Amino acid sequence: MKKEDTVKLISAEGMEFVIDKEAAMVSQTIRNMLTSPGGFAEAEHGEVTFPEISAVILEKICQYFYWSLQYSRGKETDELFSFIIRMVFLSGRSTYVVRVLALCCIA
Amino acid sequence: MSNQKKRNFQIEAFKHRVVVDPKYAEKTWKILEHAIHEIYNHNASGLSFEELYRNAYNMVLHKFGEKLYSGLVTTMTAHLKEISKSIEAAQGDLFLEELNRKWNDHNKALQMIRDILMYMDRTYIPNSRKTPVYELGLNLWRDNIIHSGKIQSRLLSTLLELVHRERTGEVIDRGLMRNTIKMLMDLGSSVYQDDFEKPFLEVSAEFYKVESQKFIECCDCGDYLKKAEIRLNEEIERIAHYLDVKSEAKITNVVEKEMIANHMTRLVHMENSGLVNMLLDDKYEDLGRMYNLFKRVPNGLSMIRDVMTSHLRETGKQLVTDAESSKDPVEFVQRLLDERDKYDKIICQAFSNAKTFQNALNSSFEYFINLNSRSPEFISLFVDDKLRKGLKGVSEEDVEIILDKVMMLFRYLQEKDVFEKYYKQHLAKRLLSGKTVSDDAERSLIVKLKTECGYQFTSKLEGMFTDMKTSQDTMQGFYANHPELAEGPTLVVQVLTTGSWPTQPTITCNLPTEMAALCEKFRSHYLGTHTGRRLSWQTNMGTADIKATFGKGQKHELNVSTYQMCVLMLFNNADRLSYKEIEQATEIPASDLKRCLQSMACVKGKNVLRKEPMSKDIGTDDAFFVNDKFTSKFYKVKIGTVVAQKESEPEKLETRQRVEEDRKPQIEAAIVRIMKSRRVLDHNNVIAEVTKQLQSRFLANPTEIKKRIESLIEREFLERDSDDRKLYRYLA
Repeated sequence: MKKEDTVKLISAEGMEFVIDKEAAMVSQTIRNMLTSPGGFAEAEHGEVTFPEISAVILEKICQYFYWSLQYSRGKETDELFSFIIRMVFLSGRSTYVVRVLALCCIA
Repeated sequence: MSNQKKRNFQIEAFKHRVVVDPKYAEKTWKILEHAIHEIYNHNASGLSFEELYRNAYNMVLHKFGEKLYSGLVTTMTAHLKEISKSIEAAQGDLFLEELNRKWNDHNKALQMIRDILMYMDRTYIPNSRKTPVYELGLNLWRDNIIHSGKIQSRLLSTLLELVHRERTGEVIDRGLMRNTIKMLMDLGSSVYQDDFEKPFLEVSAEFYKVESQKFIECCDCGDYLKKAEIRLNEEIERIAHYLDVKSEAKITNVVEKEMIANHMTRLVHMENSGLVNMLLDDKYEDLGRMYNLFKRVPNGLSMIRDVMTSHLRETGKQLVTDAESSKDPVEFVQRLLDERDKYDKIICQAFSNAKTFQNALNSSFEYFINLNSRSPEFISLFVDDKLRKGLKGVSEEDVEIILDKVMMLFRYLQEKDVFEKYYKQHLAKRLLSGKTVSDDAERSLIVKLKTECGYQFTSKLEGMFTDMKTSQDTMQGFYANHPELAEGPTLVVQVLTTGSWPTQPTITCNLPTEMAALCEKFRSHYLGTHTGRRLSWQTNMGTADIKATFGKGQKHELNVSTYQMCVLMLFNNADRLSYKEIEQATEIPASDLKRCLQSMACVKGKNVLRKEPMSKDIGTDDAFFVNDKFTSKFYKVKIGTVVAQKESEPEKLETRQRVEEDRKPQIEAAIVRIMKSRRVLDHNNVIAEVTKQLQSRFLANPTEIKKRIESLIEREFLERDSDDRKLYRYLA
């Protein structure tokens, strides 16, 4: 993968996830971060730090991005919900679920 | 097991994070405030979007959205006040540039702020029904900068100044203008309209008022129109380059009103260069320009049309009532055709063939053609001239074109039945003397008349053609049956059906013996095949070809009328004849005889007879001799063919009388037709209906119609209603 097409998402523990820009842009917030005029640090370095999201959650989030790209054309909402439920049980910290949802702007 | 503790599963409620730090909100806000400052100072590169976003998110989440929003408003307002000071401080031309630069900065900052505060935009603001961040930013800009006392007026005057400069020919920075105007448009259409468009339109109106006044004093019509067009195009271009598209209609209205509508009358009637002069000089370009410009203005086109119509009627009237042109009918009609061609071309080229103008042209022509009561006769004479010689050597398409043009004039005639009468007379003469140039052209014209006026109009004319054809066949049959006559004089007879041909009085004429015998043979042959018919010889319309030998032995073939032939044959038996003797022998009526002798004795080059005394007129005591000294370059000499001429006064009156007579039965037929279908009708309606029905032939006179009604009442076709004197009833 070329450097220009990727972004680095860094979790609270410092674990780095390098994913495609296209995948990251699924999240409106991340998209704004990277495309906002004015040269915020994220856009300049191509790195986004999430000091409050643990690596486990961030991993699931990245998986969501890729899943979303693949399946968003044929909307199957059952799949979506089951995915989220799986993620909730995995984390045990329900607040993070809310954060993630906010991050991904599913609402 | 009793030792086992019961474990209660407690399901805790979903709790937000407890706010440990009471000054939490304040601290978070400070971070954001600092960020906004940095953004406005172009220092944003060090900031972390995620951190700011998180902070804003947290504030809203913990119900501090109100604080965040109001803080935002205060901070932005403060910044904008500083910005406005710096803009005010800009000198002269830099003012607009500074404004633009600051606007761009503000826009960028606003977007960044919106991005970080996105969460608030989506949750807090809809709930509390406040203005979203981006719109808030625009409103604050508008209130603090554009509507700030010093900047507002300065901005407007700068913009108007620039527009004025461009109008006077200077080049301005259009990109700058475009951006500034776009800024105003982005702030809201009411801002654009109130702060710029309205004053712009007012100033423009003033400007054009002054300019149009200046131009109209010094320019002539064509130049003024050119200038107006240039200005109009300029304004349209200006809109395209840097103003709102919606303003186009408004500014063009202003220009049209000031430059065109206010001076319309003066332009059209301008001396030496106004509309009338343009029409006379065929100035297609100027006329086209005037048409396009006036089209934009209410009543513009109708003014052009009215002036053109009145001018056309004036010139037409002069043309038609001019005594000089009335002398030569062909010339008369040709001038009418030329006039029509000219205006047709003008309308086609300059007025884009507009229907209303075509109609105006047609109505004007209709008006003045009918002012001269001899127009139908003249048109028929024109056609006659063309069909006799004018169309020789002209190609088929050109023939069609000329005939079509004549048809156009024909349509304008109100008294089409007068035309029919004259046309019949002229056609008869053409056919009988064999003088038509092209049979096809004749037939083509008949077809056109039929399309125009219906079968009835042309049935008799077609009958004339049929007669000619039948006569040819009859002659062939005659000579086939009588082969012994092949050596004698050749007889050609045209048998004319009385109804189709113009009525001629039968005139007496004694044919020479050889001819008389031949004619009798023909008569018996014809009556043998067609019983129940009556033949009468029309000696005044015939022609003859005779061979003559003169004193010095010169031989000539003379083409003469029948009368002239009778006279000349007398000289076979006598050398000298007096007028009285000729008159007795031939029994030709006096006026015709005199004319016939005159053409043979007094016309130079055709004087086959010698007269004593050598005066121009024929007196009853004159004596005639064969002119032995007659010479001519040609072998075949034509003397005195029967040409269609313009009628003399008494002839004209006679024809008109006949036309009037013919109209009476037509009016009566129309009245009966109408009453039969309506049964009961009042006087005025009868007149209206009759006029309408007869419109295609002639204009019916109401008094005449009244007379016909009286006559019909007398003959018991109609009756007057017993109660209402104005009502008529149909009697079956």
